[in-house]
Amino acid sequence: MKKRIMAGLLAAASVLAVAGCSNSGSGSTTTTTAAPAATTAAPSGGDTTTAAPADTTAAPAAPASEEGGVFNIYAWNEEFKGFFEKYMPGYDASAETLDGIKVKWTINPSDNGVYQDKLDQALQANASAAADDKVDMFLAEADYILKYTDSDYTLDVSTIGVSQVPTEYQYTVSAASDANGKIKGVSFQCCPSALIYRRSIAKEVLGTDDPDAVQGQLDSWDKFDAVAAKAKDLGYYMTASFAETYRVFSNNADSAWVTGGELTMPSAISQWIDQADTYLKNGYTLTSGIWGDEKNAQMFADGKTMCFFGPAWYFNFCMGNAQDPEKGCSGDWAICKGPQGHFWGGTWMLAATGTDNGATVAKVMKAFTENEEVCENLIVNEGQFTNNKTVNEKFANDPSFGSDFLGGQNATAVFCGMTDSIVWANATIYDQLLNEGLQTYILDYYTGNCSKDEALQNFYGYINEKYPAIVTP
Amino acid sequence: MSSNTNAPVKHKSISYAKWGYLFISPFFVVYIFCSLVPLFSTFYSAFFEDYMDGLKHVGPTFVGFENFVTLFTPKSSGSIDIINYAGNTMIMWIMGAVPQIVFALLLAVIFTSERMKIKGQTFFKTVIYMPNLIMASAFAMLFFTLFSNVGPINQMLTANGGEIFEFFNNKWSARSIVAFINFLMWFGNTTILLMAGIMGIDQSLFEAASIDGATSVQVFFRITLPLLMPIIIYVVITALIGGLQMFDVPQIISSGKGSPNNTTKTLVMALNNYIGTSKNYGMAGTVSIVLFIITGVLSFVVFRTTEPKKEKKGGKK
Repeated sequence: MKKRIMAGLLAAASVLAVAGCSNSGSGSTTTTTAAPAATTAAPSGGDTTTAAPADTTAAPAAPASEEGGVFNIYAWNEEFKGFFEKYMPGYDASAETLDGIKVKWTINPSDNGVYQDKLDQALQANASAAADDKVDMFLAEADYILKYTDSDYTLDVSTIGVSQVPTEYQYTVSAASDANGKIKGVSFQCCPSALIYRRSIAKEVLGTDDPDAVQGQLDSWDKFDAVAAKAKDLGYYMTASFAETYRVFSNNADSAWVTGGELTMPSAISQWIDQADTYLKNGYTLTSGIWGDEKNAQMFADGKTMCFFGPAWYFNFCMGNAQDPEKGCSGDWAICKGPQGHFWGGTWMLAATGTDNGATVAKVMKAFTENEEVCENLIVNEGQFTNNKTVNEKFANDPSFGSDFLGGQNATAVFCGMTDSIVWANATIYDQLLNEGLQTYILDYYTGNCSKDEALQNFYGYINEKYPAIVTP
Repeated sequence: MSSNTNAPVKHKSISYAKWGYLFISPFFVVYIFCSLVPLFSTFYSAFFEDYMDGLKHVGPTFVGFENFVTLFTPKSSGSIDIINYAGNTMIMWIMGAVPQIVFALLLAVIFTSERMKIKGQTFFKTVIYMPNLIMASAFAMLFFTLFSNVGPINQMLTANGGEIFEFFNNKWSARSIVAFINFLMWFGNTTILLMAGIMGIDQSLFEAASIDGATSVQVFFRITLPLLMPIIIYVVITALIGGLQMFDVPQIISSGKGSPNNTTKTLVMALNNYIGTSKNYGMAGTVSIVLFIITGVLSFVVFRTTEPKKEKKGGKK
């Protein structure tokens, strides 16, 4: 009996011990009780590590204006942070201050919706957060900007003195406008997405690397498929990821993913599913995800892939391997419009309701859209395509301007010719995980792990878990 | 009573207990507020529809057992996700826990063996415990890179003229990697626990056995194992509880999607999907309850089946 009590106590102790651990947060063991702990703790701001970023430094010297002491920016990667730190007028890199206001970044990865989750938590706590912890400005991507513009958690930017300027591309303004036409944010990028190809491989496969001639051979999906077969015969992949062409289809879809709370797959996405299937079966592409290492390795000089798709941000942000001084192949690239014009991504700056740094937010927004010097720097040094028509066109019309990475080609001119085809339509607040989830789950069908129907059911199951409001087929 | 002069003295001698209660009370206070209350509130939320649709709050509305019905509604293919997830969790746990306990037992016996008297024990113990100090997510990232299609393992395969093997697109290799990481992380911990257990066994029993001419194998099965049973039960039950809550490794390896074909998706990953994006307290609470019940039942089963029979000869402690 004694032994039994002892064993029982041990068992109980283990439950208690593990349960006790759970309160320390995301340790290696999450427990039955950990979930409820998180469940109840979260709304009351219990998850302090994310809800209210602790002030890491002592308050700086009092800023000149009535602005708050800390300028909090939420982002999902380091891209904008890099530009901000290099080009933002008034930014002091050594003190990490902007006009005496401490700049604090909170960066969470967007994968699996983590960034949105953390941001939502912070925004919901913004009203009651301490002044220095309030989110002042945050970045949002095309896939989910609607969720924020369509809410009370973002400010109408006119209230902080930012208004639409004619140099902005209309689609970037439409994307940032709420249902009543109020503008809730501005983009510092315009993101027409092009076909990026390897010159040396194009020469071998198509007999030319001249962008106009290449475009002529790849301006429709039928031609693209034919070239893919030809490339395969010569030992090359057409694309390095089965999801490489996803955005070309999805951002040209003529219906939304979700209408009236019901999920219906746009016909463009079904077309992509079939195309990716064919491409994998025929060996035209790889099973790597769109951000996968295997795909990125194809950008090295010894890569065997001819085509990639991406906007201007792609060069810097995704093509690091191609620019690698030793293993890369800088200069062996060029761009053209490709089979179908489209856009991909984009980074909008939005002002959070409750900000105590409204004037600073406005200053940053204006700097990255209206300040020609900043925009010129973005184009010349970073290879970006800015949201300032005047500056973009200046470089597009400059015959001496070209990118070394693209073998001297003037990418800005190519992108300028593509902006008119961008239409902002059919966005939903759920797009990020729908796009990401479909690409992951459908791969199980391509790799033979399940039938197409099962793969889609898994995808719908994932969406049901993530978004209870959506009715799936 | 007051007339009896002995009574107060006697009373005083046992009153130290109150200090004991005082010293353990902080734990119980923290436990009640940080674990027990949330535990009950989880049960409570399981009966509500309560989530965020984007940034809009839906509910809370009382829905009775609807969340449980949703959870156990089969898909059009006939399979029930939550049962799949429970199955995945158990399979990956067993794949890791069985070698973990066997290996730990072997190491514990070797380290505590009076005959072998291994030198540098502290060093070895530190080394085998080391993996436990690394974050599970870091481990998962490491293995993800190692076994990726362009990782070193595949580079070795292709260098010898082989084909690339897509480890994360095959359910058994993906599950094995998850199980192996868990094994690697936890066998050191188990070894230390079992060593403590073995060292607690009266050395004279081992001496007597060797005088009687028992072989090492006989000593192990007749003396070490039966007397170690309470510790083994403890190890199995804690491993089970930890295993059922398996989360970080498969979560990182499959970006929360349980690839391939939902075969590495565990119960807590599903729970995380519910609670993460839409703050779906209702469904997350429901999954928690299912997990709670499974843990309880399995712990009971383990406890029952491993408990030594009373009428068994010998081995009486």
